[in-house]
Amino acid sequence: MNHTPETAATGNGGNFDPKQAAALLDETTQQARRQLAPSPPWLLATRAVAVLAALGAIWLSVRGQHPYRGPTAADIPVLVAFIVLNFAATVGVRERALAGVRGKSRLSPAELTVLVLAVAIVPVVMAVLAAAGVSFAWYPTTVMVIPGLAWAAVSAARRNWPSCGTGLAVAAVGVVGAFASPAGSWLVAGVGLCAALLGNAAAIAWRQHRDLAGA
Amino acid sequence: MTTDELDPLIHVPTRLKIVATLAALPDGDTLSFTRLQDMIGLTPGNLIIHLRKLEDADYISSEKTRNGTVSITTVALTSHGRAALGTYTQALRDLLGGL
Repeated sequence: MNHTPETAATGNGGNFDPKQAAALLDETTQQARRQLAPSPPWLLATRAVAVLAALGAIWLSVRGQHPYRGPTAADIPVLVAFIVLNFAATVGVRERALAGVRGKSRLSPAELTVLVLAVAIVPVVMAVLAAAGVSFAWYPTTVMVIPGLAWAAVSAARRNWPSCGTGLAVAAVGVVGAFASPAGSWLVAGVGLCAALLGNAAAIAWRQHRDLAGA
Repeated sequence: MTTDELDPLIHVPTRLKIVATLAALPDGDTLSFTRLQDMIGLTPGNLIIHLRKLEDADYISSEKTRNGTVSITTVALTSHGRAALGTYTQALRDLLGGL
């Protein structure tokens, strides 16, 4: 191994100033983390605002219903558009960030299977709860419990604690929503998901800042 | 402490960028040569030269895999390389703190 210092004449920066090196190290580290982050704080914060707007809009339209009839025909396209855009943005940003990356950063087939099953089983569980006469069977918050717990379990296995916390928070919002009125559960879902996503964004941003300061 | 005590393999702008970029990945994850090239902004030839020096020192590992007719080269920071970057960063901090 040759550790001979290289000179500036070789174009390799033999006179590389330590201050410049520290600045370059900080800049490169921040840039790389930003480019390689599958769930960047800005995306989580944007999703938080979007979910609050979408579910809040539905809550505004259903809160005056007596008796409760559920989202109106005008609300459904908003909800579907939100879900599709949210999914597309999340997958798009994730794929772009992880292009060329192999390893733990990517979800394994087993983890993907757990998450897909957790989402697929939700309508079945809701139908069973409805058949049993459970009042909160069709609440929007009920949808969140199983996927939230599945995400928490997958994140815990990866020791990704901020993400695990988000999964648990989403599941907790689902449980809290069961105690709300049918209309109120939309507000609980919107505010709860917004808070969980903002909390995750803050945790990731704080961790990045801490790692950089300690680098 | 003087600049001579900074690891000369890392204390080169291009190689510092390579090592810092690879260190942003979780331990054990690999990055394709083309993505690294895209992130660092180097020509393939120039990047290969620097990667070879880092690999000779066991700071990085590379692997070439074949996907049909396409050959894909991936690189990763070794634990030795990660430790060397940690030592370099601490030395840099000590040096700047002493200025």
